[in-house]
Amino acid sequence: MTVKPFSPIDNLLAQHRAEIGQEWVSDVMALWGRHYPGLVSEDEVRQQTSRLLDELASAFAGHSGVTPPQIASDGALAASARELSMRRAKAGFKPADTAQYVLSLKNVLTGRLIRELSEVPADLATCLAAVDDVLDRLSLLTFEAYVEAREKVIAQQSVSLMELSTPVIRLWEQVLMLPLIGVIDTLRARQFTESLLEAITRYEASVTIIDVTGVPVFDTSVAQHLMKTVDAAQLLGTRIIMTGISPEGAQTLTKLGISFSKVTSRATLRAGVAEALQMIGRRVVVVSGAGK
Amino acid sequence: MKIPILQLGRILLVSIQVDLTDTDAMQFQNDLVNKIAATEALGVAIDITALDVVDSFMARLISDTASMARLLGAEVVICGIQPYVAMTLVEMGRDLIGADCAFNLEQALKILNGLIALRGDSTLNSGDDDGRSYPF
Amino acid sequence: MMDALIPSRRVTITDSSDIVRARGAARSLATDIGFGLADQTRLATAVSELARNVVQYAGSGSCEIIDASVADEMRIRIVVEDSGPGIPDIDLAMQDGYSTGGSLGAGLPGTRRLMESFAIESAPGQTRVTIGLARQRHHQERR
Repeated sequence: MTVKPFSPIDNLLAQHRAEIGQEWVSDVMALWGRHYPGLVSEDEVRQQTSRLLDELASAFAGHSGVTPPQIASDGALAASARELSMRRAKAGFKPADTAQYVLSLKNVLTGRLIRELSEVPADLATCLAAVDDVLDRLSLLTFEAYVEAREKVIAQQSVSLMELSTPVIRLWEQVLMLPLIGVIDTLRARQFTESLLEAITRYEASVTIIDVTGVPVFDTSVAQHLMKTVDAAQLLGTRIIMTGISPEGAQTLTKLGISFSKVTSRATLRAGVAEALQMIGRRVVVVSGAGK
Repeated sequence: MKIPILQLGRILLVSIQVDLTDTDAMQFQNDLVNKIAATEALGVAIDITALDVVDSFMARLISDTASMARLLGAEVVICGIQPYVAMTLVEMGRDLIGADCAFNLEQALKILNGLIALRGDSTLNSGDDDGRSYPF
Repeated sequence: MMDALIPSRRVTITDSSDIVRARGAARSLATDIGFGLADQTRLATAVSELARNVVQYAGSGSCEIIDASVADEMRIRIVVEDSGPGIPDIDLAMQDGYSTGGSLGAGLPGTRRLMESFAIESAPGQTRVTIGLARQRHHQERR
């Protein structure tokens, strides 16, 4: 006779699947409906739980042996769990709420097992341990998938943010402006340097204003990125005006021994613009009779 | 000891009269850069007439102060270097000061005004009521 | 006929105000020996450099200023000592542009260039820098 220490679980899932599913769905909807009203449909949850339960049941049904069934990472159970997680991640669910999904099932199963096997504590212990084992692993799997999906979303968002946040602006016929905002890392630096060089070439810009008001931290690495950008731009013949260095930034840069040679530095953007205009032989004047 | 910073139009004047400790030096640089930013100063004159000895620490201090001021868009002129101080500076090493120099304060102001006149932003008014806001 | 040597001066260095005192002592002894303004400034600057190092890197030390003149030559010798952690790599410290904490930069090499003689010994617990200037006496009265 084959050993089937987990047959109570098998039976439970075979005979009471619908009820277990219903209980599970209500618990989940109670939680998610509260935190994410309108974001999840009960039908969707019902479908997913039903599929997961089916796969969980087959895992236990075909299984014999003293250790609980493994969850094959390329198996149907794992795939369903992952898919579910990724949906939640894309929808912006919090990590804990996603993990709770599997834990709710654990509660339901545990509750029923306790009722069923209260007379047989040894069997109960074995089955509870198995439920713990399998569902904990499933939980971890869903969590991993969630994290992976979230990181993908964040990566995509930062690419868009990056493109949005360093546009090259054509201020005047031969004057470009590059407003830098936020953290400057190698990737961003490369991106905005390329954009700048393209723009210099396209518009034959003779002056470029690089505004760093929005750069929070000026350290060696930021300065080096900037110096590369400045050097490259100067090779194309444009003159550089740097604006927006803060008093703290000025102190930090100097103490680090960094200086931008052949770069005109101005504290405010408007001083930089005035300077740029002068470089191209233009000036802002009051037009007599104008103004409403 | 706090070094006073005087304002003459869009030009700031400082006079370093005593040897500075590390802390005094940092305080001075901090005060000056903040004042340059706040007043949108176009020029800074650093007068060291009263210093009869300038060692590498003080030379570095003056040089760094000039660099910081320039990063904030101000022209910088050092004035009042005593002849024997000039001699020792040169004997110790090259370009320890790293800024334009003038004989005295009057010359320094002339040079500053000349440099400022060449700038594109010399006719801009300084500071609005909302001032300059650094988000950080 | 040679006059008696002028007594040495000794200055304890514990804080920044002592830098100024050491400079003053060096300048005044140099003046007494008969060195001109240019040399006085060189000596005061060199002492300033060394005394500042003591304050910044060792915490405390001393400066001794010695009249070492002979008949036809004015000589001054200054010894600055401390019992601080010492300079780990003297050769490196004596290279131009070397700098720790921003102050030792032009310091030692610059000082050497100002003086006729310059000797440095440094080990953890004991650093000693000896500098000196010598000038031919011109035929004039010693002050």
